[in-house]
Amino acid sequence: MENANTLPKVSVYPLIGIGIVSGLFAAMFGIGGGVVIVPLLMLLTKMPPRIAAATSLATLLLTSMIGTARYAGSDHIDWLAAVMIGAPAVIGVLIGIHFQKRLPADWLIIGFGVLIIGIGLKLVFAL
Amino acid sequence: MDITLITICFAIGCGIAAGMLAGLFGVGGGVIFVPTLVLVFAFTQLDAQATSLAAIIPVAAVGAWRQTSDENVYWRGAMIMGIGAAAGVLLGAEVATRLPDALLSQVFGAVLILSGGEMIVSASRRLKAKRASAPE
Repeated sequence: MENANTLPKVSVYPLIGIGIVSGLFAAMFGIGGGVVIVPLLMLLTKMPPRIAAATSLATLLLTSMIGTARYAGSDHIDWLAAVMIGAPAVIGVLIGIHFQKRLPADWLIIGFGVLIIGIGLKLVFAL
Repeated sequence: MDITLITICFAIGCGIAAGMLAGLFGVGGGVIFVPTLVLVFAFTQLDAQATSLAAIIPVAAVGAWRQTSDENVYWRGAMIMGIGAAAGVLLGAEVATRLPDALLSQVFGAVLILSGGEMIVSASRRLKAKRASAPE
């Protein structure tokens, strides 16, 4: 099966462009990161959905660390709350990856489509 | 923040749901974290976004580590996108203060709905074609 090491090398320009757009949208709409990275990776670099999702997580590791460092000095971060939701989410991510590896790629795309339609509706109706 | 049994249950439930979305689809979980913090914990939007970022770190770390062992992470791409995203956030913070426009975010929402619809339609077509050509 295809993996990230057998993938043809992706040019730096679409990657840096996707990064900038995801950061820009995160700052402007509060929704960026994976929601933007995953579809653009699939569209612009033809990356298979499984690898796009995994690579998106690795990108988010960097961006969430940078973002947290930016706020760490202020009192905007409630660390106790971050642990309360972050710890169960770590269990959730392991469950999610377990299923992600077993689901056919097209089903992953359908699931992702449903997810971003939900987010889109939330933005359109300002819920 | 008041910690009650109810908030703990919400935190666990929403945390697991957010993590599952992260593992399945590669989104960070902020989509669930931020509204949970605002609605259940009565955080301000800014506090919720900052706290959500901190909560995403362990999720992304464990997820990326787990996926790396299966060779699913294209690290070179992740690094380059991470650098681009850091620049984009700085740029976006500049733009956002000048454009307090609800219309813009509705347009973005509409784009998400359309691309989601396109994904579902094209993936279902491929599934159907595969089913039709599969030897019984």
